[in-house]
Amino acid sequence: MSDPKIDGLELKPGFKGMADDTGSDQTMFKGVHWGKAMMWIFLLSDTFIFSCFLISYMKGRGSTLVDWPNASEVFGLHVFGVEVPLLLIAIMTFVLITSSGTMALAVKYGYEKNRKMCGWLILATAVGGLIFVGMQAFEWSKLISEGVRPWENPFGAPQFGSFFFMITGFHGTHVSIGVIFLFIYAYKTFAGHYDDRKRGWFTSMKGDYVEIEILGLYWHFVDLVWVFIFAFFYLW
Amino acid sequence: MSDEYENKTGYQAQSSETISSGSGGGSRTASDIDYVRPAEVTDQDLYHGHSFITKWVFCQDAKVIGVQYFLLATFTGVIGLILSWLMRLQLGFPGAAGFMTAEHYYQFVTMHGMIMVVYFLTALFLGGFGNYLIPLMVGARDMVFPYLNMVSFWSFFVAVGVLLASFFVPGGPTGAGWTLYPPQTILEGTPGSGWGILLMCISLILFVAGFTMGGLNYLITVLQARTRGMTLMRMPLTVWGIFTATVLAMLAFPALLVGALMMTLDNVLGTSFFMPTIIQAGEILEYSGGSPILFQHLFWFFGHPEVYIVALPAFGIVSDLISVHSRKNIFGYRMMVWAIVGIGGLSFFVWAHHMYVSGMNPWFGFFFATTTLIIAIPTAMKVYNWIITLWRGNIRLNVVMLWCLGFIVTFVNGGITGIFLGNVSVDVPLSDTYFVVAHFHMVMGIAPLMVIMGAVYHWFPLVAGRFLNETLGKWHFWLTFLGAYSIYFPMHYLGFIGVPRRYFEMYDSPYMTSAVGMNEFISMAAFIVGAAQFILIFNIIKTLKTGKPAGSNPWKANSLEWLTPSVPPEHGNWGDKLPVVHRWPYDFNVPGAKEDFITQTTPPSDVVGTEVEKT
Amino acid sequence: MHPGIIFFLVILGSILFHIFTPWYWTDIASNWGGMDDTITLTFWIGGGVFIAVCLFMIYCVFKFSYKEDRKAEYKPEDKKLEKILTWATTIGVAALLAPGLIIWNQYVTVPKNALEIDVMAWQWGWQYRLPGEDGKLGTTQVININDDNPFGINLDDPYGQDDVLIQSDLINLETNQPVKILLRSVDVLHNWYVPQFRAKMDAVPGIVTYYWFEPNKIGEYEVLCAEYCGIGHYAMRGGVEVQSSIDYKKWLSEQETFKELIAKQQKIEFENKKIVKNNNFLLNKEIYKEE
Repeated sequence: MSDPKIDGLELKPGFKGMADDTGSDQTMFKGVHWGKAMMWIFLLSDTFIFSCFLISYMKGRGSTLVDWPNASEVFGLHVFGVEVPLLLIAIMTFVLITSSGTMALAVKYGYEKNRKMCGWLILATAVGGLIFVGMQAFEWSKLISEGVRPWENPFGAPQFGSFFFMITGFHGTHVSIGVIFLFIYAYKTFAGHYDDRKRGWFTSMKGDYVEIEILGLYWHFVDLVWVFIFAFFYLW
Repeated sequence: MSDEYENKTGYQAQSSETISSGSGGGSRTASDIDYVRPAEVTDQDLYHGHSFITKWVFCQDAKVIGVQYFLLATFTGVIGLILSWLMRLQLGFPGAAGFMTAEHYYQFVTMHGMIMVVYFLTALFLGGFGNYLIPLMVGARDMVFPYLNMVSFWSFFVAVGVLLASFFVPGGPTGAGWTLYPPQTILEGTPGSGWGILLMCISLILFVAGFTMGGLNYLITVLQARTRGMTLMRMPLTVWGIFTATVLAMLAFPALLVGALMMTLDNVLGTSFFMPTIIQAGEILEYSGGSPILFQHLFWFFGHPEVYIVALPAFGIVSDLISVHSRKNIFGYRMMVWAIVGIGGLSFFVWAHHMYVSGMNPWFGFFFATTTLIIAIPTAMKVYNWIITLWRGNIRLNVVMLWCLGFIVTFVNGGITGIFLGNVSVDVPLSDTYFVVAHFHMVMGIAPLMVIMGAVYHWFPLVAGRFLNETLGKWHFWLTFLGAYSIYFPMHYLGFIGVPRRYFEMYDSPYMTSAVGMNEFISMAAFIVGAAQFILIFNIIKTLKTGKPAGSNPWKANSLEWLTPSVPPEHGNWGDKLPVVHRWPYDFNVPGAKEDFITQTTPPSDVVGTEVEKT
Repeated sequence: MHPGIIFFLVILGSILFHIFTPWYWTDIASNWGGMDDTITLTFWIGGGVFIAVCLFMIYCVFKFSYKEDRKAEYKPEDKKLEKILTWATTIGVAALLAPGLIIWNQYVTVPKNALEIDVMAWQWGWQYRLPGEDGKLGTTQVININDDNPFGINLDDPYGQDDVLIQSDLINLETNQPVKILLRSVDVLHNWYVPQFRAKMDAVPGIVTYYWFEPNKIGEYEVLCAEYCGIGHYAMRGGVEVQSSIDYKKWLSEQETFKELIAKQQKIEFENKKIVKNNNFLLNKEIYKEE
C-alpha cells in the first residue's frame, strides 16, 4: 500500500500531518476506506467490552470467599501418563497466532491482486480459527466433565467457572463469527467479486480487496484479545 | 442500483489551475478566492427503494430512518409519560388509583426511568435527530452505511418490542429501579425479578447492538464523508454535539452490555458475579462471593456518560437554534466545540459521584468530587456563550426561541443543583432524596425536552414542508415550561426535608406529612404538563396537511440542511451536485453584507466587501 | 404579555418561594452542621449565578427583540471576556469544592472515641448490636445467622459473647457521644438514614460499610431506608432515641447480651422465638399486601 494521494493537499508526516488532516475538509483519515475506519472504531468499542469483562474478572477474583483454583492444575492435560500443564492452551494460542500470520499474508496477496493465493490463505485462516474453536470446545467439555459449571467449581471459587465460561465464550463467539465471515470472503475471493468490483449482498458498495484488510483487522483484534485472556486466566 | 452513478462523481473544481490557497494578496480572481479542494472520494452509490416497503418501512434513507426513530421513540416516550402520571397519582393522592400496589408503583418507576433515559431521549437525539441532520448538515448524500443504518433502527424496534413485552409476562416488568442494582434486582421481594429483568436485560443488549450499528454510521459520516470545504470547525454545533455524544455512547454502552450480560447470567444460570452470600426469609440462597458494587461501577461507567449522551446533542442543537433566531453568530464557537469535547472526555472520569454513599472506598470521594466540579466549568462556559449570543442580537421571539429560553432557565437551574450533588459532602444529606429526583429531571429531563420541542418547531418546516401552528405552539410551550418548572422547583425542597425517593407512600412521619400539600400540587402540575404534550401531537397532525407552506429556508438559516434543492429533501439530498462549503454556518448580520445571513455555500466572491472574520 | 415578563415572574417566584418556603431542613441534631453550611454557601453562589444568568437573559429578550431594521452585532469571539468568565467560574467552583472536601475528610475520618454500633439490615427491618464491657464487637458471618444467633456472631470469638443485642428497630444513643455506624446487610442494599443527622451510607451485603456522627440533641427520630430495597422499601422504618448520659446508661443496662440470649434460649422453647421473628417478617408483608 502506498500512501494515498490527495488532490490539492500535501500530506505531511507526523503530528503536524495529523493536525493538518484533522483541520482539513472532507475526511479526517486521508485515503482511508469508510469500512476500514468503521472497523477501527468498532474495535475500539469492542475493546471496552473486553476491558469491562477483564476488569470485572480482576475484581471478582479479588473478592471471592474461596481460593481461586490453581490454573496449571485445572488446565493441565494428561498426555501419555504425564501431567503437562497448559499444553492444550499453548497449542490453541499457537494456532490462533499462526492464523493471524496467514491473514496478514492474505491481505498482502489481495492487494497484489493474486486472487488464488489470497483465497487459499483466507481459507487457511478460517481453518485455523475452526481448529481453535474446536479445541476450545474440547477444553470446555473437559472442564464440564470434571464438574466445573458456571455456578459451581469443585476446585475452588465458583466465580472461576462463571468468568471462564463467560469470557472465553464471548471470545469464542467472536472467533466463530470471524470464521463464518472468513469462509464467505474466501468464496467471494475465489469467485472474483473483488476483481470485478461486484456489489455486496446487502450493501450497494462495490467489492474491493480492502474488505479483506478490514476482516483482517477484526481477526488480529480477536487474536490480540486472546493474548490478554490467556495471560489473565492461564498465567495469573 | 446500476452504473448510472458512474458519471456522477464529485464535480470539478471551479478553477482548473493549480493554486496554492491562501498565498499572496494582490489581485485574485473570483475563481481564486472561491477555490475549494476537489473531491477526495467518488460520490456515494445509493440504493433507491421503489416499493412502499423499501421506501418507507425497510428504508435505507437516513432521513426516513430518522423519522422512524423519532416516531418510535416518541411512542415509547408517551408510554413513559403515562407511567409518570400513574406514579404522580399515587404520590399526590395515595390510594386514588385502586389497583396501585407497591409492586405496580415500583414497576412504573423503573419502566418510566428506563424508557425516558434510554428508549426515548437517547434514541430520539441520536437516532432521530442524528440520522436526519448529520448527512444534511455535513453535506453527505446519506449515512455511509445505509443498510447498517436500517438494521440499526429495526434492532431498536425489536428492543422496544421486548421491553414492552415485559408488561405481559408473569410477574410483570422489573421493578428494580432504573439503576437495576443487584442483588435485589433478581431476588424475590422485587417485582419482576424473574422474567421482567430478563427481558429488560435482553432489550438493553439489543438496544446497544442496534445503537452500535447506528453510531458507527454517525461517526464515519462525520469523519469521512463531509462535503468539499466542510472542515470539522465549520460544522454546525448540532453535529458536534451528536458526534461527541455518539463517541461517548460507543465507549460507554459496552459497560452496560457487560453489566446486563453478567446480571442475566446471575439470574438465569445462578452465577455469583454480583451476588454475595444472602439470607432471604430465613433461607440461605445459593450465591456467594460476588460484589454488588461492581455492578454499580459498571452501570455508572455507562450511566454517567449516558447523561451527556442526552445533554450534548441538546447543547449542540440549542446553540444552533439560538444563533439562527437571534440572527447572530454563536458566541465563541471554538470555545463551544472544545467545551463539548471536554465535557465528553471528562464525563468518563466522574461516574462514581453517583456512588458517594454506596459503600465504595470513601477515599474515591475526593477524586470524583474534584472531577465532577471541574466539569462544571466547560458547562458554565456554554451557558455564558448562549446568553452572550442573545446579547446585541436581533431576537425573534417565536416558539422556537421560547423553547430555547426555557431550556436556559431549566438547564441553569438543574446545573446549579448538580453542583450541590457533585460536591461530595453536600451530597451526603441530599442523595437518595427528592432533591436528586428534582435535579436530574430538571437537568436531563426537562432541559433536553425543551430542546427537542424547540428542534421540532424549528425543523418541522424542513421535514414536512409546512410550519407548525404558532399559537398552539405558544400554548404548548407555556403550559409545559411553567408546569414543569412548578413540578421540579418545589420538589427540591422535599429533598431538604429529607423525603427519600422511591417511596410508595410517606406514612405519617411529621416532616413528611407537611409535604402532602406540595405533593398534591406537584401531581396536578404533572397531569397538566403531560396533557399539554398532546397539543404538539394535535398540532403536527393538523399542520401536516393544512399548515402554512414553508418554502425553502424559511428561517433564513445558513447551515446546509436548509439549502437542499427540494424541500423536503429527497433521497440523496443534493440532486446532481454536492454543495461546496465556504464558511462556518454562523455568518449572521455580517457588516457590509446585503442580507442578514450568508449561507455556508455562498462563495466569497459573492460577498466581496463584507468583514467576515471566520471562514 | 411579553414573554420576558413571564420569565421574570418565574425567577421572582423562585426567589420568593425560597425565602418563604415552609418546607426546609429538618432541624439538625448532629455534628454535621458543616454540611448545612456548605449547602447554604452553594445556595448563595449557585443561586446568585442562576439569578444573574436568567436576569441577563431576560434583559436581552426585552432589549434586543426582533426589529426589521436592527443590525445584530457581529462578533464571533472575545478572547478576553471568555478568559475572565472561565477564571471567575473556576474560582467559584473551587470555593465550593474546598469546604466540601474538608467536610468529606471529617466524614471519612472516624474519631478514636467513637462507639461502634453494628446495624444489621434485612428485607425489611433493622436490628442493632453494641459492644459489651470489652468495648469491642465480635466478628460475624452471614451464614451463622439462625434463630439462636440472630446476628450471626462467630461463636468462637470471645469479643462477641458480651455484645449487647437489640432485636428491635429502635435504638438509643447517648448525646454528644460520637458513634461509628457499621452497616451490614444480609440480603440487598439498604441505607440507614436519619434526616436530622444528615449522614447516610449504604449497607451492602458481603461487606461492612461505615460512617459516623455525633448526635447532639435529645429527642426521638425516625430512621428511613434510603436505598431502594424491594417492595417494602418505603415501610422499612426504624427509630432512634437520643438520650442524656444517665438515661442512656439505664437503658443500656436493661439490654440483653449475647451470653444471656444463649442462656435464655436454652430455657425457652425453640418455637417461641420463631414466631416472633416470623411475625416481624409477616408484618412487613402485610403492609404492602393491604394496598
